[in-house]
Amino acid sequence: MQVAVDGPWSPLLGRLTLEAIPYTNPILLFTFAIAATAGIVVVGSVLYFRKVGYIWREWLCSVDHKRIGVMYMILGLVMLFRGFIDGVMMRTQQAIAIGPDSPGYLGAAHGYLPPYHFDQVYSAHGTLMLIFAATPLLTGLGNIIVPLQIGARDMAFPYLNAVSLWLTVAGALLCMISLFVGEFSNATWVGLMPFAELPSNPGVGVDYWMWALQISGLGTTFNAINIITTIVKMRAPGMGWFRVPVFTWVNMATAIIGVTAFPVLTAALAMLGLDRYVGTHFFSAGFGGNYMLYINLFWTWGHPEVYFLVLPAFGLISEIVSTFSAKSLFGYPTMIAASMGIAGVGWVVWAHHFFTMGMGPNLIGFFSAATMIVGIPTGVKAFNWVFTMFRGRITLATPMLWAITCILLLLVGGITGMMLSASVVDYTVHDSVFVVAHFHCMVLVIGGGVFAAVTYWWPKVFGFKLNETLGQWFFWTFVAGSVLVFVPMFMAGLDGETRRLDYLWDTSLRPLMLLEVVGIAVYFLSVFFFLAMIVVSLAKREPAEQDAWGTGRSLEWLTQTPVPFYNFAVTPQVHALDELSWRKANGLEKAQPSTYVPIHMPSSTGLPFIIGMLGFACTFALVWRIWWLAGASLLAIILLVIIRSFDKNEGYVLPAETIAAAERNLSTVSVIAEQSKVLPVGGHAEAH
Amino acid sequence: MRYWRKLGLLAPLALAGCSTDNMRLFHPVGLMGGLEYHYTMWITGIMLLIIVPTVLMTIIFPLRYHHSRNAKYTPDWHFSAVIEILAWAIPLGMVVVLAYMSVSAIYRIDPWTTPALADAPGASLPPVKVEVIATDWQWVFVYPDENIATIDDLVVPAGRRVQLTMTATEAMNGFYIPQVAPMVDAMPAMISKDAFEIDQPAEFTGFSTDFSGAGFSWMYFKTRILAQADYDAWVKSVQASQNQLTYDVFTQKIAQPQVNYGAVPSYFSAPNAGSLFGKVVMDAMMGKTYPVPDSLTKSVSSTEGEAPASPAAK
Repeated sequence: MQVAVDGPWSPLLGRLTLEAIPYTNPILLFTFAIAATAGIVVVGSVLYFRKVGYIWREWLCSVDHKRIGVMYMILGLVMLFRGFIDGVMMRTQQAIAIGPDSPGYLGAAHGYLPPYHFDQVYSAHGTLMLIFAATPLLTGLGNIIVPLQIGARDMAFPYLNAVSLWLTVAGALLCMISLFVGEFSNATWVGLMPFAELPSNPGVGVDYWMWALQISGLGTTFNAINIITTIVKMRAPGMGWFRVPVFTWVNMATAIIGVTAFPVLTAALAMLGLDRYVGTHFFSAGFGGNYMLYINLFWTWGHPEVYFLVLPAFGLISEIVSTFSAKSLFGYPTMIAASMGIAGVGWVVWAHHFFTMGMGPNLIGFFSAATMIVGIPTGVKAFNWVFTMFRGRITLATPMLWAITCILLLLVGGITGMMLSASVVDYTVHDSVFVVAHFHCMVLVIGGGVFAAVTYWWPKVFGFKLNETLGQWFFWTFVAGSVLVFVPMFMAGLDGETRRLDYLWDTSLRPLMLLEVVGIAVYFLSVFFFLAMIVVSLAKREPAEQDAWGTGRSLEWLTQTPVPFYNFAVTPQVHALDELSWRKANGLEKAQPSTYVPIHMPSSTGLPFIIGMLGFACTFALVWRIWWLAGASLLAIILLVIIRSFDKNEGYVLPAETIAAAERNLSTVSVIAEQSKVLPVGGHAEAH
Repeated sequence: MRYWRKLGLLAPLALAGCSTDNMRLFHPVGLMGGLEYHYTMWITGIMLLIIVPTVLMTIIFPLRYHHSRNAKYTPDWHFSAVIEILAWAIPLGMVVVLAYMSVSAIYRIDPWTTPALADAPGASLPPVKVEVIATDWQWVFVYPDENIATIDDLVVPAGRRVQLTMTATEAMNGFYIPQVAPMVDAMPAMISKDAFEIDQPAEFTGFSTDFSGAGFSWMYFKTRILAQADYDAWVKSVQASQNQLTYDVFTQKIAQPQVNYGAVPSYFSAPNAGSLFGKVVMDAMMGKTYPVPDSLTKSVSSTEGEAPASPAAK
C-alpha cells in the first residue's frame, strides 16, 4: 500500500529519526532559541499571572466571533512577521550571492543560504504570507466586523467558526514545526509539478506544505459557509440587500469564492497526496500522468483565491475612504456590481498563469482578453473611491493615509497586471521578478488595507485608539520600505532577472539588490514602529468614544465601545444604507431602548480547540507516515464530532435585567463577560 | 503642505527609473524581441492615459478637500449618472483596445508558427534546427542536421531563422533569452517550440526561468550568434570532437542530476543526433525519471567545484 520512500521507516515513528532535527544549522538553532524564548516568556507569564484558566475559558474555548476574529488576527500577524523574516533572508542572500567571486558563509558557496535552504525559505514565504498571514488577517476582520455591521449577535454557526479557526491554526503550526523537525517544501508555494512528485522531491517538505494547505483550506471553506449563512440569514430587521454595508458585501463575494474555489484545491492536493502516498500517476510526466492538469486545477483555485484576498481589502478601502471623507460612498450599487463582477470574472482567467506553456494563440487570446476584463470593475472601484473623496471633508488620519496609498498601489499593480495579461509582454517577463513586484503591489494593497482596518476598528474592539504619531511613523516607513524594495525589483524584472534565484550570475544587478536591502532595513524600522505603536497605545489606553472617529457611518459604531460580548443591547432597526449617519441626521444616535429583552447566547466549548489540535496531530503523523497516530487522531476527531452531536446544550439566556445593568454601567460588562456561567434556556429568548 | 514634501522624496527614485541602460528588455535585438518591445510600449502608453489622471486625482483630492481648507462639501452626493457611465465606459473602451492589441500580437508572435519572422531576411533560407533538452540542471543543445551537440552553449548563424524544439528530462524549465527569444517552457514528455532570428553577430545569456530544483540558479547558457562562415567553421570543429554524445552517454551521464557550476560549455560530436530528442521525449512519456535524492539537493553548492557524484542510473 505504502510507496517506497527514501531512508528508514519504523512503525512507531514512521520516517521520523533524530536526523530530521537540523541541530547543525546555526540559522535554525538561532531561530529555535528565539522561538523557545518567546514561548517560555508567553507561557511563563501566563503561569505567573495565573491566567491559565482565563486563557482557556475566555479565549481557547470562546465561540464569540470577536474573540475568534482577534485570535485570527494574532495568528496572521505572527505569520506575517515570520514571512517577513523569510523575505529578509531572500533579499540579503540575493544581495550577497552575485557573481562567481561573491563570498560564501555558513557552508554555502555563495551568500549564506545554500539552495536547499533558500528554496525552502521562499516557498515558505509565499505559503505563509498568502495562506497563513493574509487569509487569517482578512478572515479575522470579516469575523469581527461582518456580524457587527449587520446587527447580528454572532456568526450563524459560532461552534463551526471556532473549528475553522483551530483548523487554520493547525495548518500554521505544521508550517512552523517544519522549521525544527524535517524540512519545508522547496517546490514553491504553488507546488511545481512534476517537480513536487516523489522522484524529484523524496523528502517530507512537500508533504508538510500539502497538509498545511489541506487542513487550513478546510477551515477556510467552513468559514466561507459561515459568512454566507450569517449575511443571508442574520441581517437586522430593515436591512435589505441594498442597505448592506460594502465591507459585508465584499465578504459575501469572497465567501462565495471560498465555498466554490477551495474544494478545487482540496481535490488537487488529494490527487497529489495519492501520487505521493499510494503511487498513482495523476501529475507525473510519464505513465499517462499529466502535470498540466495540476497547474490548471491549482490556478482554478489560485486565481479566485487572489480575489478572495483582494476583495475584502477593496471593501476596507471603501469603508475607510467614505468615513474619513465624511461623505457617502460614491456609486454604492456599482461598487457591489463591480465586486461581484470581479468575483465572477476571476473564475475564467486562471490560464494566464501559464501563457508560456504553449497553449496556442486561440486559448492565449481568450485568457488574455478575459484577464483584461478584470480591469473594468477594478477601474470602476478606483474611480468611485476618487469621487468619494471629491467634495468631501477629508481627515488624513492613519487609516485614511493607508487607504489612499492602497488606491495608488492598486493603480501601479493594475497597470503592471494589465501588461502581464498581454501575453506578448508576458513572454518577456513571465517568471521574472517583474511578476513578483507586480503581485507584491497587490498584496501590499491587502496589507495596507489590513493595517488601515486595524487602526480604524481597533477602538471598536478594544475600547481605545492606537497612537496616531507612531501610526504615522509606521505608515511612512512602511511606504518608504515598499518603494525601496519593489521599484528596484520592477527594474530588475525589466532586466530579465528570474524569480527564485539563490545565486545571481548577472553582476549588473548588484546596485538594485543593494537598494532592495536598504528597503528591507526601512521595513525593519516599520516593524519597530508597529510594535511601539501597540505597546504605547496599550500603556496609555485613553478610552475611545462610541463613534471613535466621529464620522462613523455603519451599524458597528452604534453599539458600545468596546463592543460588549452580546454586541447590541437590542437588535437595531435599520432605516438606511448608512444607518448611523441616518440616525445622526435625525438626532437619534443617542437614543436608548425603553425595554430590554433577554438574549440567547451560545455557550463556550473546548471541543473546537481539541479538534484543531487533533487535526494537527493527524496531519503531522501523515507527513512522517506514522500511520497509528494518524489513524488514532482521525478516529478521535470523528468520535468528538459524534459526541458533540448528542450535546443538548443550546446555549444560555442573558436576562434583560443584566443587559440593562450592563448598558447603564459599562464597567460591569467585564464581570458579565465571564461566559462560564451557563444559564438554562427559557423564557422568551430573542430569536437570532 | 508637509505631504507634498514627503512625496518629493520619491522624485530621485522616479528619475533613477528613467535610465534604462541596465534594463535589457528596453534594448531588444531581432524581430521577436522588437515586436515584444513594441507592444509593451504601446500597451503601457495607452494605459498611462487613464492611470496618470487617476493617480493625480487620488493625490490631489485629499489635499484639495482636506478639512482645513473649507472647500466645497457635499456630504450626501453619492451618485452621478454621467460619472458612473464614464467610470464603466472608459475602462471598457481601454480594455477593448488593449485586448485587440494583445490578441493580434499573440497571432503575430506565436512561437510555434512565427508569422513575425515571415518578412525577415532569413525567411528564404532553410532554418537552423536546434533541439533543446533541459536536464537537471543543464541545457543540452542538439543539432540534428549537423550531428553535433553542446552543453550550455547555443551557437547559431546570423541572418537565419533558428527553430528550437524543446523538451525536458525531469522537471519543468523555462527557456528564455532576454532581448532575443520569447520565454517558452521546456517540459518533460512534451514538445514545445520557440524561434528567433538575429541578423548580426552578437552574444547573449539565456537561462531557465521556471524553478527546477537545487541547481536552478546555475542553469544559464551562452548564446552566440556567429557570421555564417564562422558558424560553419565552428560546426566542423565540433564535428571533429572526440567527445561523443550517444543515447547511452546521455541517459547514463549527462541527464543525471548535476550542477554545472559556472555553466562551463562542452561540445560533442553526435553521430545519431537525429534520434536522440525523440527517444528522450518517449522515455519520459513511458515513465523514465532521473530521481534527485534528498542528499543531492542538500549538498548542492555547499562546496562549489566538488560537484556531488551523480547517482547510478535507475
